Amino acid sequence: MTSRSKGLRIVLLLLRIAIGGIFVYAAWTKLREPASLFAISIDGYHVLPEWAVLPLARMLPWLELLLGLVLIAGFWRRVSTVAASALLALFFSLMVRAYVRGEAIDCGCFGPGEAISPITLLRDGGLLAAAVFLAILAWKKPRPLPYGRGSVTTSPTVETVPPSD
Amino acid sequence: MKKLSVAFLLALCASFAAAPTVNKGKAFGNPAAPITIELFSDFQCPSCRNLHMTLLPSIMRDYVVPGKAYLVYKEFPLSQHNHSREAAAYACAAARVGKYEQVADALFQNQPAWAENGKVFETVASALTPAERTKVQALAQDPAVLNEVQSDYMEGQREQVNQTPTMIVIKGTKRWPIAGSLSYNLVKQFLDDISK
Repeated sequence: MTSRSKGLRIVLLLLRIAIGGIFVYAAWTKLREPASLFAISIDGYHVLPEWAVLPLARMLPWLELLLGLVLIAGFWRRVSTVAASALLALFFSLMVRAYVRGEAIDCGCFGPGEAISPITLLRDGGLLAAAVFLAILAWKKPRPLPYGRGSVTTSPTVETVPPSD
Repeated sequence: MKKLSVAFLLALCASFAAAPTVNKGKAFGNPAAPITIELFSDFQCPSCRNLHMTLLPSIMRDYVVPGKAYLVYKEFPLSQHNHSREAAAYACAAARVGKYEQVADALFQNQPAWAENGKVFETVASALTPAERTKVQALAQDPAVLNEVQSDYMEGQREQVNQTPTMIVIKGTKRWPIAGSLSYNLVKQFLDDISK
């Protein structure tokens, strides 16, 4: 393994743990309060009928917690990074929509009391970019090693390289 | 030990000095109620008007009147609204003659008109007797009343109020800010949840 690819692996590991940790923290800030409080934040976006808001407020923090733990543990990397990207893309698009419309509403990201602002958009946009980067690399097939370094096959279906002697 | 006691006493005095004061004319319900709701509002803000006319009567009926919640109005005049501070001063002055609620009702009901033509006092006057009008007009210029508006505003800034209306729901040491246009069913659910 070259020092460059080793460095990339460390960066990816740190990024995955950071995003996972943020998901766990976001879940914890919601689970420690009544679900109705998060429901009020969701309702502020005006995208769901009122009857759907409370069930979603009960379910979403558990999904965030599960996703965060899976990301930190490194299980099912392809699925988890795509799920994190999709969830963050949804949050980000709803926040942008509210901001563009001039709706002064709570972000609902880490509990109540944080209005949508350029800072929250930048933060969530950055998280989304990082999650998409992780997802792309998780799905990208590893490049074959140069000739003479290990027994490399040119078959496009092979994903791992056996260690060289 | 003596130094520690003095420091403790000084800290205690400072905390009392910093504690927000409640104008009784702007507070409704039982002060010993388990929940306190501090409502930071701007008379010229359309969402505040909406909350005052739709959500607040239900909160009054279900929580304030039965003694489950103590409601305290706080002024938070936003700088982009050119008549907000004037309206807040009149409302605070009206609180001193026991007419805060009536004046707040008049101001919110006629908000589109006075926000446009600037006839704030005429709107306030419609909720007062002739004697009260004279008194309120004078009180609205009183530095104590103007300080009260500013003090409420500063308190809102300390609470990190960044939009109006914002309700700070307080139970014990916990404080939850709830802001924006709200559904009564969800607010009711939340108040019931924290009452358990």
